[in-house]
Amino acid sequence: MTHSLRGRLLWFLLAAITIAAVAQATIAYRTALHDADQIFDYHMQQMALSLRSGTPLSNDEARARLEADSSASGNDDMVVQMWSPDGVQMFHSVSRARLPQRAVLGFSNVRANGTTYRVFSIQTSNQTVQVAQDLAVRRNMAGNMALRTLGPIAVMMPILMLVVWWVVSGSLQPVARVRSQVASRQADDLSPVSDTGLPDEVRPLVQELNLLFGRVKTAFEAQQHFVADAAHELRTPLAALRLQAQSLDRADNPDARRVAVGRLTAGIDRATRLVEQLLVLARQEATAAEGAVSRPVDLADLARRTVADLAGVAAAKGVDLGVQQADPATVAGQPDALQILLRNLVDNAVKYTPGGGTVDISVQHEGANIVVQVEDSGPGIPPDERERVFDRFYRVAGSEAAGSGLGLAIIKAIAERHGATLVLDASARLGGLKAVVTFNSPAR
Amino acid sequence: MRLLLVEDDTMIGEVVLDLLRAEHYAVDWVKDGEMADTALLQNQNYDLVLLDLGLPRKDGLEVLRSMRTRKDRTPVLVATARDSVQQRIAGLDAGADDYVLKPYDLDELLARIRALLRRAAGRAEPIFEYRNITINPVTREVLVDGTQVSLSAREWAVLEALVARPGAVLSRAQLEEKLYSWRDEVSSNAVEVYIHGLRKKLGSDLIQNVRGVGYMVPKA
Repeated sequence: MTHSLRGRLLWFLLAAITIAAVAQATIAYRTALHDADQIFDYHMQQMALSLRSGTPLSNDEARARLEADSSASGNDDMVVQMWSPDGVQMFHSVSRARLPQRAVLGFSNVRANGTTYRVFSIQTSNQTVQVAQDLAVRRNMAGNMALRTLGPIAVMMPILMLVVWWVVSGSLQPVARVRSQVASRQADDLSPVSDTGLPDEVRPLVQELNLLFGRVKTAFEAQQHFVADAAHELRTPLAALRLQAQSLDRADNPDARRVAVGRLTAGIDRATRLVEQLLVLARQEATAAEGAVSRPVDLADLARRTVADLAGVAAAKGVDLGVQQADPATVAGQPDALQILLRNLVDNAVKYTPGGGTVDISVQHEGANIVVQVEDSGPGIPPDERERVFDRFYRVAGSEAAGSGLGLAIIKAIAERHGATLVLDASARLGGLKAVVTFNSPAR
Repeated sequence: MRLLLVEDDTMIGEVVLDLLRAEHYAVDWVKDGEMADTALLQNQNYDLVLLDLGLPRKDGLEVLRSMRTRKDRTPVLVATARDSVQQRIAGLDAGADDYVLKPYDLDELLARIRALLRRAAGRAEPIFEYRNITINPVTREVLVDGTQVSLSAREWAVLEALVARPGAVLSRAQLEEKLYSWRDEVSSNAVEVYIHGLRKKLGSDLIQNVRGVGYMVPKA
C-alpha cells in the first residue's frame, strides 16, 4: 500500500465508487427484473384474456388482435398458441420458437430449444390459450436498465477523482511549503516555521516542531555563551600553568625553584578545581535535561552533614561555622544535587569570610515554604553585583579568594531544577552576605 | 625601562612580574581597569603597558581607548585569552600596538616587548652602534672594540634607557623612574653612581652630560 496520502485517498475512492457502482447495478438489475416480470406477466395475462373469446377465433382474427396487442406493447417476442379442446392447434403466432404443446394452467417456466420461456395458459370451454415469452428479453431489458444507471457514475468517477486530487493537493500545499522551508534552512537556523494555512491535522505537528526548535535554540544559545566564557576561563589557568612551568625552567637557585614549584602546584590545583566544577555544572544540567526522579530529602539532616564536612576547613581558617537552626524539613529532590547546593553555599561563605568570622546555616519553615539560609560575616556582595554573580565565570572585583566563578552558577542551576528560588541579600545579623534558598512546594 | 603590568589573574601576574623584573625592567602591577587608569594618569613615564582585556571594574579595551583618547602614546601590548579574529581586530583598532594570545610563551612575550620598545624609540634595527661601541639589547651584550664588557643590572638599565632614544635627554628623575618600580627605595645619588660606572667601562664619549638637564646618548 502506498504511503502517499493522496494516492491512498484516490485508491480508496476508486474502490468505493466501483463497489458502489456494482452494488447499484446489481440492485437496479434485480429491481428491473422484478418490475419486468410483473409488467410482462400482467401483459401476457391480458393478452391471453383478450384472445380468449367466447367463440373460437379464426387465425386471421387472432392475428389481427394479436398484432394490435403487440403494437400496443411494442413487443414481438410473444409467442401465442391456441388449441381447441380436442388438442388441435388452432393458431400459432409467427415465431422462431417452437413451444411444446402442453399447458400447465396459469404461469410456469418452460425450457425448450435451449431457451427458458415464461408461459401463461388459460383454458376456456372451447379453447386453450397459451402466451409465452423468452425470459432473455426480460433479462436484457433489466440489464439495459442497470447499465443505464451505471452511466452517470461512470461519467462522475473521473470528475470526482480529479476534484479529490485537486482538493487534496491544495490541502497539502502548505505541508509541502513547510517541508521546503525546513529543508532549505541552515543548520543553525532555529526560528519557528510559519503554520499559517496548514490543515488542522498537520498544524499541531508543526507547532510541536516549533516548540522543539525553541527548546533547542535556548540550549544552543546557552551553549554558545558558555563556550565564549569558557574559552577565557579555561585559557587563563592554562596560561598561568605555562608561565609557571617556564618560570620553573628559568629558576637558577633553590629558593627560586621552590617558589616556582609552589606556584606551579597551586596552578595545577586551580585548574583541577575548575575542571571539577565544570563537570559538576555539566552533570547538573544533564540531569536537569533528563528529568531525574525526585526523592524526599531531609534538608535539616543535609545541613548538619554539610557543616560537619566543612568544619575542618572552617576551623583551619579560624571561621566559626555552625548550624543555627534546623527544623525538620523534607523536600522532593535529588539528594546529591541538594548536597552540592548546600556545600557550595557554605563553602563560599567560609571562603570569603576572614578568619575570626562567623558562618551560620539555618533550615526553617516560613508558611508553606521551607527556607534555607547561609549567613556570614564576610565582606558581602555589593547590591548591584548580586544578580551578576550567578553568571558563569563571574567574579566579584577585588575578591582575593581564588574561585572558579562557577560555584553560584551551580547553586542556581540546582535551585532552579528543584523549583527553589535563590536570593542574595545583606545579613543584618552578621554583617556579611545572606544567601536564602526558598523551596516553594514541600513534599507531601 | 618602566612597564605597567595590568593583569587580574594573580597566578599569571606574579609570574610575569617576577620574569620582567628578572629582565631588569621596572614593573608596576595593577589588577583591574580602574587601577590601570589611575596608574597611567599618575605616571606619564611608562615605556610600555602589558594589558589584559578581561579585567574587573573596567574592561581592558576601555582602558586602552581612554589612553588613546587622551593622546597617551605609550606602546600597549595586549595579552589576552580573547582569541576570535573580531576581538583581535577590535583590540588593534582600539589602539593596541601588538596582540598576544594566552597562553603565550615567555620568550615570545619578551621579544614582543623589546620590539615594541625599539619601535617606540623610532628604531627598526635591534643593535645600537656608536663609534667603537656595539650594544645588543636582546643579548645584553656590550662590545667595546670587539671586546665584551660586563655591566651590572642597574648600569644596564640606565644604558638601555638612554640607548633606547639616542639624542633624547633624560633627566635624573626620569632615569630613576625607569630604574625603579613602586616597591623600590631610591637612593639620592644612585643614577650618578651608575653613570660613573658606565663611563669607566665604555669611555666618556657615549654618555654625555647636558648640564642642568640630564644625560643623553648621541645619535649614531
